[in-house]
Amino acid sequence: MEITFDHVTHSYNPNSPTANLGLDDVSFTIKDKLFTAIVGQTGSGKSTLVRHINALLKPTSGNIKVGERVITSETNNKNLKPLRKQVGMVFQFPENQLFEDTVEKDIMFGPMNFGASEEEARESAHKMIKMVGLDETYLTQSPFDLSGGQMRRVAIAGVLASDPETIILDEPTAGLDPVGRKEIMELFKGLQEEGKTIILITHNMDDVADYADEMAVIHRGKLITEGLPKEVFNNQDLLKEDLLTLPKSAAFAKELSKKGFQFDKLPITIDELGIEIKQQLNGD
Amino acid sequence: MEKIISIKDLNYTYPDAKHPAINNLSLDIYKNEWVSIVGKNGSGKSTLTKLIDGLIEAESGTIAIDGQIINEDNIWEARTKIGIVFQNPDHQFVGATVEDDVAFGLENQGIPRDKMVTEVDEALKLVKMSDFKKRDPQSLSGGQKQRVAIAGVLATKPQIIIMDESTSMLDPDGRRTVLNLVQQLRQEQDLTIISITHDIEETELSQRIVVINDGKIVQDGKPVEIYDLGSNLRKFGLEEPFTNKLISTLGDKLKLPEGYLNEEELKQQLWKLHSIM
Repeated sequence: MEITFDHVTHSYNPNSPTANLGLDDVSFTIKDKLFTAIVGQTGSGKSTLVRHINALLKPTSGNIKVGERVITSETNNKNLKPLRKQVGMVFQFPENQLFEDTVEKDIMFGPMNFGASEEEARESAHKMIKMVGLDETYLTQSPFDLSGGQMRRVAIAGVLASDPETIILDEPTAGLDPVGRKEIMELFKGLQEEGKTIILITHNMDDVADYADEMAVIHRGKLITEGLPKEVFNNQDLLKEDLLTLPKSAAFAKELSKKGFQFDKLPITIDELGIEIKQQLNGD
Repeated sequence: MEKIISIKDLNYTYPDAKHPAINNLSLDIYKNEWVSIVGKNGSGKSTLTKLIDGLIEAESGTIAIDGQIINEDNIWEARTKIGIVFQNPDHQFVGATVEDDVAFGLENQGIPRDKMVTEVDEALKLVKMSDFKKRDPQSLSGGQKQRVAIAGVLATKPQIIIMDESTSMLDPDGRRTVLNLVQQLRQEQDLTIISITHDIEETELSQRIVVINDGKIVQDGKPVEIYDLGSNLRKFGLEEPFTNKLISTLGDKLKLPEGYLNEEELKQQLWKLHSIM
């Protein structure tokens, strides 16, 4: 599903002395079936931006098109269910949203809320628990007896169980160990390959370089730039102004280029960097 | 070297759990050391922190802090020697201003007001946040919040600071500032630092890495020794250091020295190879 922001401004506490712009005239398109990363410093407006996609927040002015649906300041809170079924959102620390007494019931809650029968919801729970890398024995346990990493997976399974077309992830791997993080990122990449649209908010530039097709940079509520990660990470103006940090490989290449090495464009993944170094050292 | 924490044959199992969270674990930590405790989610590293701070009680075994074995009677005294900086800065603030917040820990210890004001100022100066003392903590960036949290801990004059994944939610700049600050404080204030982390780069600043798996210590060594475990690090939920991964993509053709190289060393080696082409 294509998502288009058209001159979207969001003001927190409008008409009050403490009014501030969470989003300031943002226009751009998130393409269907791609993996788009949204980056920016803490407090830049990334979370405000994505909360407009399923109308958890509404624009003060401008509009957002999500497939056929248009969200404006006038959008009514009624009839949002179809939109929220299409757009699944995994918040930061999603384990805080678990509440049922078994993992199975927790995963079933979403689909049943969107009108699935108990049987369908149960079937979905059994499928999703495996998809997030846990086995079916977890279904009968209380979610609160699980480790932090396991709770995270259960919460993600709960969002996936409603089979959303678009999945928004707000720093889904914060606090997970690196191996767990990689598994979760591979899971999302796999979902994209099955035809879902993935939108990822992250601070981890290596994840952007490794997984994203496109990226957008937000700063003080404004969209600063968007495009292919390789292009954006080579945007010298952004780097000069400290609006963006580099993936490890690009930062290392930049260091190497101080002596001898030359890169037309900074490589952004380890594999790209390795190939460039080999070429420059022995002509391979 | 003087031991500041000495743990002997420690065991702990959570109620209703099938497996022990801490399994016959022994560990000595020396004064002024920076020790990283690493391991995957669920390995037992957070449980160990809770045991050290007396938030939960071991089933068997002992923990001595600064020479004294902790028990129900002296746990409060032992706790004054330990400060913990937690993962999520937003969960640690109680004050309306930065200075109120830093003062909170001191109020709890019954320090008189005039003394408190000086100590809060000193602590904020140490973390370079004096200019922010009248600000609302919620208006700060993640890195600034963690610096305030560290000031709150420093004000109580602990000997040991436990960093419980305190940089995991920060952006790269915030993380770097906090880690460099901790390193500097360790040297200047003669503190012992225990950092619980998943971040292999955070461990580079420490003198020793203790790897925990299934409640047991499975590795204990200098960072270079641990990094030499290579892809075996993954078994413990850890990522290989960046330089290791890069070296493995380079193949055998390039003549690089054996063993772990940090980024600076690898860069120097690659420059050398480039210059002799």
